[in-house]
Formats: sequence, structure tokens, C-alpha cells
Amino acid sequence: MTRYLLRRLFLMAFVFLALSLLAFSLGHLFPGDILQNVSGLRQIDDSQRQQLISYYQLDQNYLQQYLAFLSRIAQGDWGQSFASQQPLLQEIKLLLPATLELASYALLLSFIAGIPLGIIAAFKPDSIIGKAISAVAVVGYSLPIFWWGLLLIMLFSLALGWLPSAGRIGVLYEIPHSSGFILIDILRADVNYQAEALQNALRHLLLPTIVLATFPTTVMIRFVRDAMLNVWEQNYIKTARAKGLNRAQVLYRHGLRNALLPVIRQIGLQFSTLITLAMLTEVIFSWPGIGRWLIDSIYQRNYPAIQAGLLVISTMVITANMLTEIMHAFFNPLARRG
Amino acid sequence: MSKFRLYLEENNRSPVKQLWREFKRQHSAMTGLVLFILFFVISVLAPFITPYDPYLQVDDLMLLPPSWNAAGLVQYPFGTDDLGRDLFSRIIKGSSYTFGFALITVAGALLMGLVLGALAGMSKGVKSSIFNHVLDLALTIPSLLLAIIIVAIIGPGLMNTTWAIMLALLPQFVHGIRNAIDEELKQDYVVAYRLDGANNWHVFSRLVLPNIWEKLTIMATMAISTAVLDIAALGFLGFGAQAPLSEWGVMISDSLDLIYLAPSSVAIPGLLIFTVVLSVNLVGDGLKTAILKRRQS
Repeated sequence: MTRYLLRRLFLMAFVFLALSLLAFSLGHLFPGDILQNVSGLRQIDDSQRQQLISYYQLDQNYLQQYLAFLSRIAQGDWGQSFASQQPLLQEIKLLLPATLELASYALLLSFIAGIPLGIIAAFKPDSIIGKAISAVAVVGYSLPIFWWGLLLIMLFSLALGWLPSAGRIGVLYEIPHSSGFILIDILRADVNYQAEALQNALRHLLLPTIVLATFPTTVMIRFVRDAMLNVWEQNYIKTARAKGLNRAQVLYRHGLRNALLPVIRQIGLQFSTLITLAMLTEVIFSWPGIGRWLIDSIYQRNYPAIQAGLLVISTMVITANMLTEIMHAFFNPLARRG
Repeated sequence: MSKFRLYLEENNRSPVKQLWREFKRQHSAMTGLVLFILFFVISVLAPFITPYDPYLQVDDLMLLPPSWNAAGLVQYPFGTDDLGRDLFSRIIKGSSYTFGFALITVAGALLMGLVLGALAGMSKGVKSSIFNHVLDLALTIPSLLLAIIIVAIIGPGLMNTTWAIMLALLPQFVHGIRNAIDEELKQDYVVAYRLDGANNWHVFSRLVLPNIWEKLTIMATMAISTAVLDIAALGFLGFGAQAPLSEWGVMISDSLDLIYLAPSSVAIPGLLIFTVVLSVNLVGDGLKTAILKRRQS
């Protein structure tokens, strides 16, 4: 296991190196003045220009520039946003929790709904229930997420008026910002409208979470179902049945343990899709997260922001990938070889 | 696991015929295939079968409701938009953008993936591991982020986002093909063929390729559904196809501000995207099941 971990860490270092190279080269690839792109300053006068060129080492060769870029990233000087002229790292710190919150609730929902439904569908593949679950999974798998979000908004927000269609919380509630996760912030806040605020925030969360969870849930159902059907065919299941265990016991002791192993890995692989979908969901529900910010950045030609967004989001996905791989190897010794 | 069979039936037809027989038995897969072919034909013939010019603006017929509405006209089945353009013609034309470009994207990604995957799969040691790790990086960048970066560098447009989607699809192809080749190379008949004096190219073209095409087809169908969804999503966000083009995602975002006046102009393109993706997924699932059953029999 130690050898495996070391190898993984080495690999991760390599991937981060390649990522930083990509992010660095973006500063040169983006159209416009390179000095503006790396610093994020809109107006640069002549005296400032000289100073900045020596600060960013733009008169040096590419290797020097790259090293300077790395040390800037490490020190937390990520440049400024074109749009707001604020430090990017500060902006990202404010936005990232909103995305993480939405994505983690959706992921959680997809487990809670997806795994049991997948098992049921695998248990009775030819019954009406099994077929219905598979059919719903295929339908959910094929829905274009932005259209699905619009449909739900039209139905629940516009036609029925049950749920709000945008934002994280009603403007009436003033919640002090501490962690950035709205539910935690409300629970921590010392205000007398805590219960109402919590209810309001939950109502705002409901639709985006459902929309974002649709795709991962259906992937989970299909994946668990296939894995379970596959495991159910194996000889050790027949042995277990033959020695007299009943269905529930076989399922718990032999079926689930083997079928759910690849599911751990699937989380890591699905993570980058989840982020893409989260970006779309944020746009539709005006959710103040990093995805909507990035998409606004492209409308505003905000190049420093795109570079920073690439770094943050890719780091997040790489870390999630690595963690799930390591967890998978932890539970499954066979995977440690590869 | 092979199933016990009481009556031994003659089963020495070609693999494709066996596959078709298993595929035919699944009603949902056949429905998907019919829809798929229908969309394919429409998207190829789109320039010739539109009843009106999709860009022609008729001032007298603005925001005409669909023909099933009492106020609609039978000449305009889906009605017209706020500029008086026939929605039916626009939808037909749009199929070649959304669906046709998805097919082209996947074909391109598949071709590149086959070359890179074959290089990675047939080589050993350091070269193979470098391939893998570069791909790991590419896998971690979400497709929408990749598209944003490409749009930032070379500007928005249908062609540019096609490249982005191709790049985003590529890693999974290379990974899949590499793994399939790896699995194939472990077979005994490969060793036997090598002992007969076959070189890498012989092994690849005569043994590996014919044995992995089933996996390739499944990968390609799954990728088509991703590509359609991505093209529509990028069009919806305004990064992909630009306004006058009637790509379905663009059509949805165009008619968003008319959602109260003409809800059908948002509903119909979305429903079509959904139907296309559903048909592709049904075909993909049907193929998977058919291949599994063919192997078992």
C-alpha cells in the first residue's frame, strides 16, 4: 500500500506540473496584451509598465517566467479580475463554497437514490419495477440539463409558484458570511429568524439540487445495476446460495461488497462531468458559484479569471480523482498493482 | 457464463448477423435505431427538405402559434418565431448542426483516439506510461471548461467548440481503446500468431482490430449522446453556434425571453434534443445487451 501511495503521489505531482504549464501558457495564448493578461490591470501607464515587466519577469526567458509564475501562485498572488479589479483568489474563496455545497448535496442525493434503485433494478431485471427503473434511468440520462432545469422552473416556480427560481436565499434574510456554505452559515448565525432563513435556503436549494443530481443519479442506477447483475452471475454467489444463505444474506455479505467496489471509482470519474453540469445549473438558477462566474468571465473577456478558474477547478477534480482512486485501492487490494 | 442448451442449434453465422439477431429482439433498441436513422436522414437531407428558407423573415407572420393551436396555420406546423421565420424549417436545418456536427465530432475523435490508443496500446514501458499520464490530465479538465478556454483563445463559433468537444472526448476513447487492446494482446491466439512470425502491424490489423470493433461501437454511441448534449449546451450558453444559425441549443436560448408568449418554441427544440439523445442511448444499450448475449451463446 505504501508503494502504491508513493506512486500515486508521484503521478499527482506530474499531473500538477502539466496543469501549471498549461495555465502558464494560457497567459501567452490569450489574445491581447500579455502584461494585462497576467496582472489583470486594465490601465497601465509607462512607469508602471516597466515596474510590472520586471515584477513578472517578462523580459526574461520562458523558464524564468514560469518559475516566477509558480512562486506567485504559491504566494497567493493570482492577479486581478478584469471585471471587478479585485484580487482573484479572494473572489474565488467567496464563490467556491457555493459550488461545492450544491455539488456535494447533488452527489449525496445521487447515492441515496441511485444505489438502492440500482440494486432493486438488478434484483428483478424482468419485472415491471425493474424495467420501470431502467426506463426512468435512460430517460434521465438523456435529458439536456439546461432544458430540464427550465422545465422545472416553468412548472414549480412560474406555474405553481411553490419554489423560488433563482439565488441561494431570499433577500430578506441577512446572514453573516463565515464559511461560505449557506446552511452552515445559517446554523452558526446568531439571529432570531434562523428557522425561517433555514427553510428559505432549503427551498432555494431544492430545485438546483434535483436538476444537478438527475444525471449522476441515473449514471449511478445504471452502473450499480450492471455491476450487480454481473456479480450475481458469479460462481461465489451460487456457492453462497448453495450453502444455504438466503437472498438478503447473500446480497449483504457477497453481492454488495463486490458490486459497490467499482462504484467508488465511478465517483472520481464522474466528478468532472458533475462540475460541467454544475456550471450549467448555476447559470440557469443564478446560483452565485464559480461556474457562473467563469461563464460570465468569458462574456467579459476576463482572461485572468479564466486562468485562475482552470487552476482551481482542475485541482479540485484531480484531488477528487486521486482520493477516490486511493480509497478504491484501500478497499480493493487487487487494484494496488496496476 | 455459457448457458445450458438442450437443443444444439446451428450457430455458425457471421458475428454481425448474430449480433443483428440479438439486437432485433429488443423492442426499445429497435425503436431507438429507427429514430436514429430518421434523424440521420433528416440531418443529411436538411438543405433540400425544408419547406421554407429557415432564415427568411416574413413580417406578416410573426409569433404564429403551432398548427395544433386554433390560431395556427397548417402551412407552418410549429409556427413562427418573433422574426417571422418558420420554426419547422429551422428545426430541420438545426438537426444537421446539433446532430450532424455531433456525428462528425465523434468520428474525428474516434479516428484520433484509434491512432493514439493503438500507439499507446501497442507500445510498452515509458512511452505507454507517458501517454497515460498526459491523458489523465486531459480527463480531469471538465469539457465545458475546456470549451471555455478554447473559446477564449480563438473566439466562439460552432467549429471552434467542435474542436473543444473533440478534445474533451478524446481521452476516454484513447483510454478505452488502450485497455481493449491490452486485453486483446493477452489472448493465446495473439501469442500463436506472433510465433508464426507476425509483426505488430499484422497483429493489430488482423487480430486486434476485428476483435475490438464491438467495444468501439459502444464507445462511439455513448460519445454521440455526450457530443449532442455538449453542442446544445454550448450553443445555449452562446459559445457555440452563433445567433442566426438554428442550432437547437441556440434556438432555446433565443426564445427564452418569449417563454410566456410562445412556450412551444422553447419546448420543441428541447424535446428534440432529448429524443435524439434518447434514441442514441437506446441503440447503445441495445448493442451492449446484444453483444453480451452473442458472447454467451
